[in-house]
Amino acid sequence: MDKYSTTIENLSVGYTDIVVSDVNVNIAPGEILAIIGPNGAGKSTILKTITKQIKKKNGKIYIAGKDDNNIPAKELAKRLSMVMTTRIHPELMSCREVIASGRYPYTGRLGILSDKDNSIVDRIISLMNIENIKDKDFLKISDGQRQRVMIARALAQEPEIMILDEPTSYLDIMYKLEILSIIKGLSKTNNITMIMTMHELEFVPAIADKVMAVSDGKVLEIGSPKDVFSGDKLEQIYHLKKGTGNIMSDGLWQYSKGIEESLKCQK
Amino acid sequence: MQNKTKKQVALILIMTILLIIIMLTGLILGSADIGPSGLINVLLGKGDVLTTDIIFSIRLPRVLAAVILGGALSVSGFMLQIFFGNPIAGPYVLGISSGAKLIVALVMVFLLGNGIIISSFGMICAAFAGSLISMGIVLLLSGKVKNMSMLVVCGVMIGYICSAITDFVVTFAEDSNIVNLHNWSLGSFSGISWENVFIAFLFVIVSLIFAFIISKPMSAYQFGEEYAANMGVNIKKLRILLILISSMLSATVTAFAGPISFVGIAVPHLMRMAMKTSKPLVMLPACFISGAGITLICDCIARTAFAPTELSISSVTAVFLAPVVIYMMEVRHG
Repeated sequence: MDKYSTTIENLSVGYTDIVVSDVNVNIAPGEILAIIGPNGAGKSTILKTITKQIKKKNGKIYIAGKDDNNIPAKELAKRLSMVMTTRIHPELMSCREVIASGRYPYTGRLGILSDKDNSIVDRIISLMNIENIKDKDFLKISDGQRQRVMIARALAQEPEIMILDEPTSYLDIMYKLEILSIIKGLSKTNNITMIMTMHELEFVPAIADKVMAVSDGKVLEIGSPKDVFSGDKLEQIYHLKKGTGNIMSDGLWQYSKGIEESLKCQK
Repeated sequence: MQNKTKKQVALILIMTILLIIIMLTGLILGSADIGPSGLINVLLGKGDVLTTDIIFSIRLPRVLAAVILGGALSVSGFMLQIFFGNPIAGPYVLGISSGAKLIVALVMVFLLGNGIIISSFGMICAAFAGSLISMGIVLLLSGKVKNMSMLVVCGVMIGYICSAITDFVVTFAEDSNIVNLHNWSLGSFSGISWENVFIAFLFVIVSLIFAFIISKPMSAYQFGEEYAANMGVNIKKLRILLILISSMLSATVTAFAGPISFVGIAVPHLMRMAMKTSKPLVMLPACFISGAGITLICDCIARTAFAPTELSISSVTAVFLAPVVIYMMEVRHG
């Protein structure tokens, strides 16, 4: 185990009752964990527990090697950032201003950006290739562009770990590929641990290093995409009809090859 | 400094100069014909006793009150809009001003009935209690009514109920001092004393300092609770502070000038359009200065348009500012 890895030990999550229990996983810096499972299985609940929006019922979370109980909110903001499904409606804000809000944990009392903050924001804008929209009103850009800006915003927090809730939902296939290639690139070049939920299983093998399948209140499978998408495991995870799991897994790998090829061409 | 920031600073400076010009004009306007030269003489200490008295005892406190309280009102509205994440919130439409009015009226009638005259400080306390009670009801409703438009309708209803009870109390109260109470309950800056101005200034300045201190978490809160919490903001503390500060500001206004309509909702909107931002650090001073100026203009119109009859300040603010609110809703939903 890497001393900077993110580790979840015996974690139970839920609002009032426990929704998922006994979550155990270890993710090295720069690795991507995809959490899959049916709607309502508790995938987002796990994410919200990691981001401390919900108190954990049980267990421990180590963010980049440090027990999260010992990380004050302000410090956590420098270690962990997120891109959630909730739409934000910042009024009269340019994309650049939205991205700059990620510098919040680093700015002084009045939140005024220093030259260093500004240059970090500019660097992220060029890294994410969004110079063309940086001055546009955030509320007036397309869904795909918005998602790019939100990832850039999360990046401006300079996190060690990034939490993404269904980052590619509602996007067309072109944007899905684009966003995923960005996420993958960031995890490798910036060494950021990514934990994300995904519904599009066919995209998982091309992007995730580890897959965690959550269903029926527990973690059913955890391992490499090869382990999880094999045999009839999908049947159990998604409560599918007997005999369909194998066919789907096969098809999924076929589809995934195409995606992997496309991702190679993406910049 | 970026271009946008430079423009915002320039605009705030221009508005400040305009505000000073409006204040000087406010000192000249009135039934006693004083004129610019008369005013300059008084300010230089060369004016006659009567003119000096009119300026210093009547007009100046009134002008200052309109500035301090008008500014406070629009800052209060801006903070409520951040709290509810919606630009159609304001102390008047949410019934908070009317709640303050009701409690102040009840306390006044009770104390006057017992031969006690209420102090400025007592008025603010009563108004603050009333604001918090109305705010509490609005918050309880907002837990159940998720739709902002419906919440505003509920606020307007709370306002009507409070006003109805206030009218009832005022109508059946016996004391001759009730005449004052009646004027006050319609909203007016007339009869403001130096003591009132001083106390109002103290409460408003302290509230504004707190508002500035929380301007950074306020800016994060504009991205929604989830993201604000992730940026390290203590959401619970921020929400409580937003409520307390905005209630204190609108309570101070209601305590001295009665309920004033639409300033709290329309001015922040006008400023967002002028400043092209919703950042608290820019919006707080912009709202205060322009709220002060607009309220002062409305007060000048209220006292001079049909002199010697004085209009209630809300009649004037409603005529000018209600159309802004209508336009704002049309733009948002159109």
